[in-house]
Amino acid sequence: MDGNYNNYSSFGGGSGGGGFMPGEANSPAGGKTSDRDNKTLRPVTVKQALDASQPFPEAPFQIDGADVANVLFMGQVRNISSQSTNVTYKIDDGTGEIEVKKWVDSATADNMDTDDGKAPGDGKTELALNGYARVFGSIKSFGNKRYIGAHSVRPLSNINELHTHLLEATAVHLFFTRGPPGAAPAGGNAAAGGNAAAGGADAVMGGANDYSAGQNKALASMSLVAKKTYNLLKTESLDDNGLHMQVIASKLDIPATEVARAGEELLSAGVIFSTMDEQTWAILEY
Amino acid sequence: MSLQTPRILPSHLHAFHPSSASSNTVRILGTVTALHGETGTLTCGTNGDVTLILKSDARLQVGKLVEVVGKVADLEGGQGYGLRVLGSTEWGDPADCDYKIYEHVVNATHNFKSIFYD
Repeated sequence: MDGNYNNYSSFGGGSGGGGFMPGEANSPAGGKTSDRDNKTLRPVTVKQALDASQPFPEAPFQIDGADVANVLFMGQVRNISSQSTNVTYKIDDGTGEIEVKKWVDSATADNMDTDDGKAPGDGKTELALNGYARVFGSIKSFGNKRYIGAHSVRPLSNINELHTHLLEATAVHLFFTRGPPGAAPAGGNAAAGGNAAAGGADAVMGGANDYSAGQNKALASMSLVAKKTYNLLKTESLDDNGLHMQVIASKLDIPATEVARAGEELLSAGVIFSTMDEQTWAILEY
Repeated sequence: MSLQTPRILPSHLHAFHPSSASSNTVRILGTVTALHGETGTLTCGTNGDVTLILKSDARLQVGKLVEVVGKVADLEGGQGYGLRVLGSTEWGDPADCDYKIYEHVVNATHNFKSIFYD
């Protein structure tokens, strides 16, 4: 049963996905499914974790309009409180302070962080108050309180690691708000960036934001030719029939075979569709 | 809202002076190059020095890289801005740190403020 729902929602794409949203909201299984599919580990700042939004209760948290399963951040340990079932740390990275809970598994408490059998002690004992730690885990909320359910909390000893992490977090933030580096600053990208920047401020516009962000994200992982093709279709299409592959190839001065490949990429992502024949494409607009 | 401590370089001190900014607690990275009882000098790569106003229990060592969290304050005798140390973290040998990365971090945090500071 679970598997079926999973398939439907992933095939649903634009229109189908919308229909399933209410169902997912009520079914905990829906939330879990997307958690399982999304295994990314995103570098963030504590402020981003605190600002992460939740479209509806039980939904995965979103940062810059993208679902986040796991987050990674680094900061100073401001408080350690050991309980029988968990250790709670307060982590401050200069952008904010957040509580981090690491559950203690009594059976493996002593060797959890030493799977490789090299480090003598466990991570917990090495962490010092006001020392730096690197934390990875998932964003959780309990009541109105935001905290991190940590998979790992370890001491950090190299300051360059801290600094590059902050730069990584910036780079990933820019990826989601402005598209990948080197992409043509197309209207679509810029608009999506603007929407994301204003994200959360306007709840009514939430739906519209999601669509453009979704399209932007689909494009983000595509080849340069695919992006160029998409932008050309967006700007040069004269009517609803879009443009023929050969026309695109000559306008972009790119071999037709490459354009054909780009077209397949865009077709399979569902951002364009074929009109007159297999080789004539138009932008699929919502 | 928890306290935010923007990462800065000496040239940004004026922007966090109590007279012009509401928050004047900052974070700065540098090498301790001199200690004179109540004050100390922090050298921030090639970006100049900052005079630190120390707490009596401060345990700084000359030649170590430290990250200081402090409040921007006026120095006695109108000698410009200084930093009243609230806390410091020692990072060991300055040679182990690529200060250029820190400069980029300061730039990035101020250019893309939305993910770092309110």
